Amino acid sequence: MELLSQAKKWGVRSLLIQGLTFLSVLTSAFMIWKGLSLFTNSESPVVVVLSGSMKPAYDRGDILFLHNGFNPIEVGEVVVYKLNEKPIPIVHRVMKVHTENESGKQYLLTKGDNNSADDRGLYNPGQTWIQRDEIIGRVKGFVPYAGMGTIWMNDYPYLKTVLLGTLCVMSLFGSD
Amino acid sequence: MYNLFQRLGSITSLAMSMFMALLILISATTPFIPSNPTHEVTLHDVKTTTGRMVDPADRTSRSAEYARLTFDLDADLTSMFNWNTKLLFAYITADFESPGFDTNRIVVWDRIIRNTRQAKLRLRKNHNKYFLRNYAKTFENVRNANLTLHINPVPYLGIMYDKSMTTIPLDIPRPEKRASGA
Repeated sequence: MELLSQAKKWGVRSLLIQGLTFLSVLTSAFMIWKGLSLFTNSESPVVVVLSGSMKPAYDRGDILFLHNGFNPIEVGEVVVYKLNEKPIPIVHRVMKVHTENESGKQYLLTKGDNNSADDRGLYNPGQTWIQRDEIIGRVKGFVPYAGMGTIWMNDYPYLKTVLLGTLCVMSLFGSD
Repeated sequence: MYNLFQRLGSITSLAMSMFMALLILISATTPFIPSNPTHEVTLHDVKTTTGRMVDPADRTSRSAEYARLTFDLDADLTSMFNWNTKLLFAYITADFESPGFDTNRIVVWDRIIRNTRQAKLRLRKNHNKYFLRNYAKTFENVRNANLTLHINPVPYLGIMYDKSMTTIPLDIPRPEKRASGA
């Protein structure tokens, strides 16, 4: 009830202005994200490493900056790919590249540095190569362990609600 | 005048901006740190075989040609370790052109070098770590084959870049006829 009386004290107009500021922050963040996706030609230009299969180069929780571009993939590059029917992106190194003459179609084989076998066991049944369009991007830069927050929130979902709750409370009482 | 949250907030935003600036500076300057690695690859022998189930993960491998390389590698990569080098990823690729395929590049050997103690490489008569076969079943009509050594430094933080290559020609012979059956 005290919230309602406080809201009345501020007035409808200032509440609306606050709402508008909040919305414009949200939409500019969204625009920056989508603009970056267009520039890098990648559906998800910033990803967090989820598994330890690229140790010791990349560990769980590293943030990777991807740039897909339009060039053919080169061998030795570390790429993030998502198979057509699987939901999880995987970050591994490209071990084999065969590029066709006329179509430019590429046949790629990947392997995690920390795995002894290549990724054919991870591909879809019957799939021995992955294609250029299954690649989300090549790793161009990274920040170590900066994404541990995402990993914690995935492992302990109640952290998400705690975080959201704190943010709401802070934003309601923040502009005093 | 200012409460605790405001102070914490302004400290945090300043720290974030400083961190971003530092990140950009580190990423931009690391690739330009000079280094002078030495590397030399010598190829001793290439043997092509067919008719054996070499690769259990590949059902067509019985009828495909697999090449086995014997090579030496001498390298001193200690100068490539600077304050922002987490590890070096050294790998040798076999590149060639084949009918219908412009580029074929296959990693045949790789190694992770974690510190300067491991950075002096001296390999003698090593074989390829990974199977070398063409996308097609045979190496016939393969042109312009060579072996290239690449070194990829992985920084602690920042941009990935590729450095240092040395290339030697590779000749993949026709498979020897086997005296007895599989």
